[in-house]
Amino acid sequence: MVLVLAIGDLHIPHRAPDLPAKFKSMLVPGKIQHILCTGNLCIKEVHDYLKSLCPDLHIARGEYDEDARYPENKTLTIGQFKLGLCHGHQIIPWGDLDSLAMLQRQLDVDILVTGHTHQFKAYKHEAGVVINPGSATGAYSSITYDVNPSFVLMDIDGLRVVVYVYELIDGEVKVDKIDFKKTANTQSAH
Amino acid sequence: MNSSPVDASASDASSMPQKRFSNLRSVRWRIDLGVLPSSPPASIDDIRRVTADTRRRYANLRRRLLIDHHSPKYGKASPDLTVDNPLSQNPGMHELLAPLVYVLHFDLDHLTQVQKLYEDFFSDEFDKISFPEGDLLSSHRIRRVKNWESGIEIENNLHKITNDHSRDELDPDTREMLLLSDSYGAEGELGVILSERFMEHDAYFMFENLMFGDQGVVSMASFFSPVAGSNSNLPPVIEASSALYYLLSIVDSSLHSHLVELEVEPQYFALRWLRVLFGREFCLDDLLVIWDELFYSSNSRYLDNDVEFNFEVLCSPRGAFIAALAVSMLLYVRSLLLATETATTCLQRLLSFPQNPDMKKLIEQAKSLQVLALESNILSSSCQTYSNKNQLTICRGYSLPSASALPKTSLNVIADRYWEEQWRVLHKDEELRKQSNGHLSSSGIMKKILTKRLSFSRTNSEPFEGNNAHALSSVRRRLFDDSSEVIEAAKDHVKSECNESPVISNNLNVGKGFPEELADQRTSNCMVEETFLSGHNALVVSTPTSPHDIGNDHENESEKSSITSNSFLGDNDEETISMEESCSQNKQDEESTNMEEPCCQNLDKQLAQVAEATSSGDVDSIPEQIAAPKDQKPFAGKFQWLWRFGRGSKEENQESKRSQNAGHIQKDGFDISQCDGTYASCGINKRIEVGDKKVMDTIRNLGQSMLEHIQVIETVFQQDKSKFDPLDNLSNNILGGKGQGTAIAALKELRKISSLLREM
Repeated sequence: MVLVLAIGDLHIPHRAPDLPAKFKSMLVPGKIQHILCTGNLCIKEVHDYLKSLCPDLHIARGEYDEDARYPENKTLTIGQFKLGLCHGHQIIPWGDLDSLAMLQRQLDVDILVTGHTHQFKAYKHEAGVVINPGSATGAYSSITYDVNPSFVLMDIDGLRVVVYVYELIDGEVKVDKIDFKKTANTQSAH
Repeated sequence: MNSSPVDASASDASSMPQKRFSNLRSVRWRIDLGVLPSSPPASIDDIRRVTADTRRRYANLRRRLLIDHHSPKYGKASPDLTVDNPLSQNPGMHELLAPLVYVLHFDLDHLTQVQKLYEDFFSDEFDKISFPEGDLLSSHRIRRVKNWESGIEIENNLHKITNDHSRDELDPDTREMLLLSDSYGAEGELGVILSERFMEHDAYFMFENLMFGDQGVVSMASFFSPVAGSNSNLPPVIEASSALYYLLSIVDSSLHSHLVELEVEPQYFALRWLRVLFGREFCLDDLLVIWDELFYSSNSRYLDNDVEFNFEVLCSPRGAFIAALAVSMLLYVRSLLLATETATTCLQRLLSFPQNPDMKKLIEQAKSLQVLALESNILSSSCQTYSNKNQLTICRGYSLPSASALPKTSLNVIADRYWEEQWRVLHKDEELRKQSNGHLSSSGIMKKILTKRLSFSRTNSEPFEGNNAHALSSVRRRLFDDSSEVIEAAKDHVKSECNESPVISNNLNVGKGFPEELADQRTSNCMVEETFLSGHNALVVSTPTSPHDIGNDHENESEKSSITSNSFLGDNDEETISMEESCSQNKQDEESTNMEEPCCQNLDKQLAQVAEATSSGDVDSIPEQIAAPKDQKPFAGKFQWLWRFGRGSKEENQESKRSQNAGHIQKDGFDISQCDGTYASCGINKRIEVGDKKVMDTIRNLGQSMLEHIQVIETVFQQDKSKFDPLDNLSNNILGGKGQGTAIAALKELRKISSLLREM
């Protein structure tokens, strides 16, 4: 039971002061094994906070990130799954499934995590999964002001991944769950 | 790591009555949980047969469920994800399963260790046939190694081996283990009690019996369900949490009221404690010890069906142990909790229980509280309301075995508060008299204690800053308690009284059906308690004197009372006053504005005014009110000996002629006084539990001490008459002028009473 946190687009301190208190109380150190951060933190303090939650932290560069050293894309393998990470502002049109699927094929990953739209989405297609954890602080985006804070927790267990999405709606944390099963390992493209 | 739990279980076995299989925890737990037969003494064969049966059942179950698993279950309720997600703070049932599996593993390890130790006995020969592979020992070893590698349990020869050693040389434990793990015994391999192959089966059954309580009272599954229980309208876990608080209120009502004031509902922390049976609070080794004790308590309902009870969970010894352990944990961190002033910090401290608690102490205290919990659960037929139940069934002197010797009190009805206030106020009055004679020795002691405690009080004055009046009172209570405890040590002759008197005081209050508007009866509980503790000592490290704030304001009665007490203290000990004022001066205003405890009566008012007079040294302003307090002094005396009545009180409620005697005496006392209206209901005395043997002695002692006090006061009066000092002598102001005459009259009455008592 490997817990992977997908979180991003916090925009601290420009658009939001901090994570919601209820999220903070749930995110305790020691429970999560990996963090995939889609970017736009934006400052180092947030990076340090996420690092305190889990030492294995992966960040993709968002357009407002002040640390320029984050990569644009990142791939890693956890258990039987290959995960890809990208902020998403590079994918035009923003949030378009086909374009994201192109990136997924490019990176050759099973699970692609992107952000930038500040909307939670989880698509399943072609034996792959595209997840957008939304904005953890509920910061406004270029597309919309009405953003519910949300983040995603993936529970990777063998060939099965359970995606829990935590959304803060009207001050209450609502949890939802999506199940994905990976078919037996197919040969990679190259 | 492996050795320490073994030691724990071994020491367990030695200290407690010998339990079967005391060093094989999984077997013992299986017996306790009801998986294996416990009817003594179940033979090894029986145990093996039952084990085999359970394993067969599990195998069937598993086959059935796995085969049917793929069929969709449309009627399945969707799991509540707010509770069931990985990040949720709520504990899951899997956490209950984990220690069970651990214990099974551990016992297997233990078995292999024992087998290694007694390799000659755990031979793999069958019916004396030795295999022709070298000499005996080496063949054993080879076979053993082979067996271990294949992970199968060592086969054992029940009918004895070619070895010269006889089995009887083994100690009984090892012998039992031999029999348990013999794969040629009853039911063959399926009956081997400690078997790696069947660990899943065993774990399942242990878990199932734990969850469903084995037709007992406590079933853990009910703790996870939000469905209301059959006997109350609450979900079982909420009911269990309130049972916990109920027990706490019996044992330590000041902590209970503090928590209630902070609005710390029990389920905030109890949910986690109860649902995984304290699995998250202790490290694994400690937890195993706790579960040993917990499972040892039987889960069967010990009450008949027609007996009414308070809480479902307390109907079995196991449930009572759970509640008792929770209460003993609360008491363990008592001082930490009392120091908190918000619910958040309180919960933080509760949910981060100290790492290495003294397990022995915790468990012993829990066991003693368990008995109390079981007894308190039974309702008596005449009571209807919750609070009444408490009074009747819980009123006994119970002294905690723990270090914090805080006397227990019972919950009071709302109407009781008036009497608590009265008692406190009057008792301060009494104290004044005692002190005004120049108890230099006692004041010296008090000074010393106060200086010692000053640092304590200073640190505790910080909570005063909070805007919460309740926090104020709770801290003050604690100061009272702690300082009182210290002083108790100094005053041995009142020590036992103080321990017992809160019980009685609450009993006093119980009987009085005085309707009162009360904001917070619980604080009053503690006020009473602290008063009683400090009553004999008159050391009040708390609110400063604020004479100017006192008006004829009923709203500030309690405040005045506390100020009263303070001023009385200050009468004799100017140093005390200065110290107190210095440490709490700035809090004074806050307190006077924040205090909103409901009013008492004229007595309080008058006493407060008297206090005002004494502290400010202005006697003339309220000379006429001195008369009234004088009348109250006799009451104080009476209440004092009412308390001492209760000194001998123990377990049983005794509404008997003894209490009638007490009532009789009190009645006489009341007739003497003028303020009879306020003390009309002498029903208090009916509730006083008085030990049979001790009551006479108590009464006599009371009379004696009363007489002594009267003499002392009279000497003071003599002194006053002889050298009436126009200067501000705070300790004597109240006795000057017109007040003296009435004081002397009151003293005469007291004399009468004391002679009455001594005649008893």
